[in-house]
Amino acid sequence: MEDLLTVELTFSEYHIIFPRIIITILLILGAMIVFRYFYKRVKQGSSKKREFSFFMANYDKSKLFGSAILLFLYPFMMELLGFLISTILFMFVITLLFIGKVQKKALFTSLTNALATTFVVWYVFGQVFDITLP
Amino acid sequence: MELIGILSPMSIMLCFLGVLIGIIFGSIPGMTATMAIAIFLPITYALDMIDSIGLLIGLYVGGISGGLVPAILLNIPGTPSSLCTTFDGYPMTQNGQGEKALKVGITASVIGGLLSLTILYFFAPLLASVAIDFSSVEKFLIIIFALTIIASISKGSLLVGMFSGILGVFISLIGTFADNNEMRLIPPGLEDQLVYGFSLLPVLIGLFAIGQMLIEAEEGMKPATHQNIELNKGEKSKFKFRVFKNQIVNLCRSSVLGTFIGILPGVGGSAASITAYSQAKSFSKKPGNFGKGEPEGLIASESANNGLTGGALIPLLSLGIPGDSTTAILIGAFLLQGIEVGPLFIPTNPDLWSGIIFALILANIVMFALMFFSIRYFAKIVYIPKYIIFPIIIVMCAVGSYAINNGVMFDVWTLLLFGLAGYIFMKIGIQIPPFLIGFILGAQCEKYFIDSLKGSGGDLTIFFTNGPVAIGLWVLIIAALAYAIFDNLRSKKNETREAA
Repeated sequence: MEDLLTVELTFSEYHIIFPRIIITILLILGAMIVFRYFYKRVKQGSSKKREFSFFMANYDKSKLFGSAILLFLYPFMMELLGFLISTILFMFVITLLFIGKVQKKALFTSLTNALATTFVVWYVFGQVFDITLP
Repeated sequence: MELIGILSPMSIMLCFLGVLIGIIFGSIPGMTATMAIAIFLPITYALDMIDSIGLLIGLYVGGISGGLVPAILLNIPGTPSSLCTTFDGYPMTQNGQGEKALKVGITASVIGGLLSLTILYFFAPLLASVAIDFSSVEKFLIIIFALTIIASISKGSLLVGMFSGILGVFISLIGTFADNNEMRLIPPGLEDQLVYGFSLLPVLIGLFAIGQMLIEAEEGMKPATHQNIELNKGEKSKFKFRVFKNQIVNLCRSSVLGTFIGILPGVGGSAASITAYSQAKSFSKKPGNFGKGEPEGLIASESANNGLTGGALIPLLSLGIPGDSTTAILIGAFLLQGIEVGPLFIPTNPDLWSGIIFALILANIVMFALMFFSIRYFAKIVYIPKYIIFPIIIVMCAVGSYAINNGVMFDVWTLLLFGLAGYIFMKIGIQIPPFLIGFILGAQCEKYFIDSLKGSGGDLTIFFTNGPVAIGLWVLIIAALAYAIFDNLRSKKNETREAA
């Protein structure tokens, strides 16, 4: 950079000019947010500490983490078992998890939901619209 | 008839289907028109452009309109844009006038939608013809203006809003810069997968659908409480078109307000409905009735949020800049078909342009017919349990992401990564709409920036000296920032006054 209002342009460096500017702005904004946060805390004094909790009160641990883990496993299953089997399994388990209790009715609902969705998605996407499935 | 010539029977059918599905999505609290379009985008990959336009416009109109059902019946806005519908709609339901409220809302919606599309029809080509002469300097400044507005009206602070938008730009820069074919910002080990950066669609669906799913899972997927609602009580509660007799000014004002708020990039439906509602209240002869079941308020809110649909399409089709997050996803649909939206879109694609207009007319009419005559059945949708819907959505998201580039498993990982990111963003206060618009416009923003500098030999003053349009845009940018700071100060003052 020659001075503040001129940017040196070199063909081989075109790709890093803009990212550099963006990163600089991000850092400045980030620093301002952090500064403002601490400024507010100091101003309010330590007597009134603002509690920040990431999760809401009484959040549903099993449903949140369960669905996150299932989501993570699903792509692996698709690569291993193919679309049909893995989707039926995934749908069954996740519907059951969301209902939250193992009863005859819940099992039945989950199974119906799993089979119906998998078949409809497979038929509509894969057969009618000819879209590649995993 | 010209309608049949431009829209094929297939696209008419898809538009019909789109409206139906859109209404269902809009009716289920927590699901939005944006989500509906994002999920159905992959299907359009296999369709002609005109057919996919039919489907997507149908989803858009249906999704925005469906939000009034839970707003009126349950006091929960089905989409953010029907927030003010709850103010007068729910009290009407409590008075046993549920069906009347729904029908008033539906009629106001269709009028708002049709008025706004008239404005779209005349205004978009005009704006495009001005924008055609813009150089890369003006195009760069328009994008900066869009990002500033989005940041300044986003909930929370201006700083965080700007941070979110710039973060979106940053993520969009990952990959290769087309001018000199050099890669940058790619984490080591992922060079093969990220040569072209993250795909747009999995990022969109992840942020909107998967992030929302995780939030709902955290809340335990509780179904809406089932109440016995009496939809129609007595002769006085019957819906008659006479309700609208003295409301023509209100209808027109709210629709036009909704449309023009829609034009401002990034300002969503909730702002449109709030503005129209407060205007209607201050002009009304009986402002005291507002909030107690006054059809006038309902009409303002619903005609404004449907007015938004036409308005948000104006900057999209004339400048290539999305008016809200839903139209941001529509950009994805055009890109899938290899069509670039911008000032040249209307002159070079006249058939597509009239297709969009006809699809909007059709979608509004279909929406009205479907909802007006079978509202009693749609009223039941609000009780579909979420534990059935969300698993279906996840599978459709995964299939869609996988299919979008013809079978790339990395896109499914992108979907999950941004789903998780969306969840964390909502928790730590990073705003998703500015992030998304930044992500979509980031690459273009860089291209215009570098092109401008190439023209000036690296001189940054080019952004200030390139003629009156550039200066006008700077004025707008500064005005948007000043408004945000002023508004922020005012709401803080109010807070301290209330606290004291």
